[in-house]
Amino acid sequence: MLLLKLAFRNIFRQRRRSLLTALSLTGGYILCVFSFSLSEGSYSNAISFFILDHTGHIQIHLDDYLLRPKIHKTIDDPQGLSELLDANEEIESHTLRVFAPAISYYEKDNSPAQVIGVALDRERSTSTLAAKISAGEYIDNALDAEGYYSAMIGAGIANSLNIGLGDELILISQGADGSIANDIFIVKAIVGNRASPDRTTVFLPLIAAQEFLSMYGSVHEVSILLKDDGEARVQAAALQDQLPELTVDPWQTVESTFYQSMQADKQGNNFFMGFIVFIVFVGVLNTVLMSVLERTREFGVLKAIGSRPLKIALMITLETGLLATLSLVVGILLSLPLIAWFTFTGIELAEPMDVGGILMSHLTGELSLFVFGMPLLFIVVFALFISIPAGMRAARISPTEAMRSN
Amino acid sequence: MSGVISTTDVCRYFGDDEETMVKAVDRVSIEIERGEFTAIVGPSGSGKTTLLHLLGGLDNPTSGAVELSDTNIAAMSGAVLSDFRRDHIGFIFQSYNLIPVFSAEENIEYIMLLQGVEASERKRRVTDMLKQVGLEGLGNRRPNKLSGGQQQRVAVARAMVSHPEIILADEPTANLDSKTGIALLDLMKELNENHNMTFVFSTHDEKIMSRAGRLIHLHDGEVELDETK
Ligand SMILES: Nc1ncnc2c1ncn2[C@@H]1O[C@H](COP(=O)(O)OP(=O)(O)OP(=O)(O)O)[C@@H](O)[C@H]1O
Ligand SMILES: [Mg+2]
Repeated sequence: MLLLKLAFRNIFRQRRRSLLTALSLTGGYILCVFSFSLSEGSYSNAISFFILDHTGHIQIHLDDYLLRPKIHKTIDDPQGLSELLDANEEIESHTLRVFAPAISYYEKDNSPAQVIGVALDRERSTSTLAAKISAGEYIDNALDAEGYYSAMIGAGIANSLNIGLGDELILISQGADGSIANDIFIVKAIVGNRASPDRTTVFLPLIAAQEFLSMYGSVHEVSILLKDDGEARVQAAALQDQLPELTVDPWQTVESTFYQSMQADKQGNNFFMGFIVFIVFVGVLNTVLMSVLERTREFGVLKAIGSRPLKIALMITLETGLLATLSLVVGILLSLPLIAWFTFTGIELAEPMDVGGILMSHLTGELSLFVFGMPLLFIVVFALFISIPAGMRAARISPTEAMRSN
Repeated sequence: MSGVISTTDVCRYFGDDEETMVKAVDRVSIEIERGEFTAIVGPSGSGKTTLLHLLGGLDNPTSGAVELSDTNIAAMSGAVLSDFRRDHIGFIFQSYNLIPVFSAEENIEYIMLLQGVEASERKRRVTDMLKQVGLEGLGNRRPNKLSGGQQQRVAVARAMVSHPEIILADEPTANLDSKTGIALLDLMKELNENHNMTFVFSTHDEKIMSRAGRLIHLHDGEVELDETK
């Protein structure tokens, strides 16, 4: 208690110097928190964007379908798999998909298309497909009077084929058995706009796509949404154990290009923050060393009357730690409202910004323990680290010399 | 009476080469008995401070031994030596004795904290010591709100409170006017008599010397004369 008092009073001894040091600590902390919040925030927005758009947290395929998609690499018991996934407590929802490249025709025009067959009800609760519809309505499995299935088409196709709601779209592709696949589908919805990633996609009911591609009862992809965002790797590993014959990947693998660029960017960010912290700490080191030098006689007396060298060093650590703590408390109090505003309101950007390949028009932060805790830990550890040389210096002061240096 | 502290041929030389070497303390053999009130006197540079530092284990002798309670201090170092000083030796310096950010009470209490004395006992002893050195009611003041004489009294109290075997004081009165200096010395003498506390102090001042029971005269690091009154 007395030692804490001593540390506290010593901090207030050189008010102006301590204040300047504290300000640089507080400022450095706020800068770090803000920067963390920004990077975490924009990335978690980007992540939730594509996870909800189509990727999900986890995907299941056969073999290396993800890397080299081939129509014959299929999951052959999707029903059994669905039952297993539905029973899993960690899983929010999942959807089944088949994929095939195709050429689409309408009257005299044609356009390349990516056919995706989706389990309509499951897709609705797993991805944002339903929300992306810009005209028409989410389709169902039903055949119309003439025996045609419905389709939802990307705005790009609608534009290049000049096709509209209610029109008949012709698709030609190759079936799993090598046959030529061709059929007519009724356009019931337009998805997204001409800039959307799925502007050339044709969404079909799963059953329709399976029939079209002669791949009855099998699918290419299962996309899973978890209840807990952070569990993707763990749950993917657990599912992989349950499904040894299939390939289970977390989103970090599925979107590896994004993930790697995000990691690299975060590393750059950490480097930048390391630099800020370094500058702050040169100042802190200077303060601490100066205060030790000024008090040579005092430490001499403390040592002479029987304070152990280690205790003297600890006193310096305590002082530095206390100054850092006080500055950080102020830093947290100041940055909390700032980050809260940044997270819930955010900054509207004049020009959209590219975040790992995804365009963002709104900059928002993230309010989390990580954002506040990480720089805190960083600064506390550094502060303690920096007090070591100063503490050693104080501990080594020889009482005889201290007494003689009048 | 028994010997509290003794030195045998203790030397402290500064510098390595023969020509410039300073023999600050040279072959000093003395024995201080319990309850003595001894002054170390001699001209400036005669080695008083150096000898006191050797006696108190603040400095290591070049050769020879310093024994306190049958322990050779010269052979100790680090935390062991720190603890030994804390438990066996009280120090009073010429000036800047006190921690400026501590009140008088806290300055006195600090050493007991190092010793691990219980809080209630610390409080009791602080109150008692303040009374003994005549500073009742001034315990809450910081050193800069105390006069030079009062500060030295706090230093005396701090030196006494840990119940050391011996108190070493290097020119405790040098920064005080002569009246205050004599009053401080009278206080030390009183504590010496009432508690049989052993004091060894250095001084230049004739009036101060006259109050000592024994005078050890140093000259160029050697004991020139050792007189007991
Ligand atoms: N660290 C040191 N390095 C070199 N010489 C030293 C050192 N400390 C003391 N001396 C020398 O040792 C001699 C004795 O010094 P000391 O301080 O013990 O004398 P003193 O009797 O206390 O003097 P004063 O009355 O001025 O306080 C002096 O010549 C001094 O210059
Ligand atoms: Mg001296």
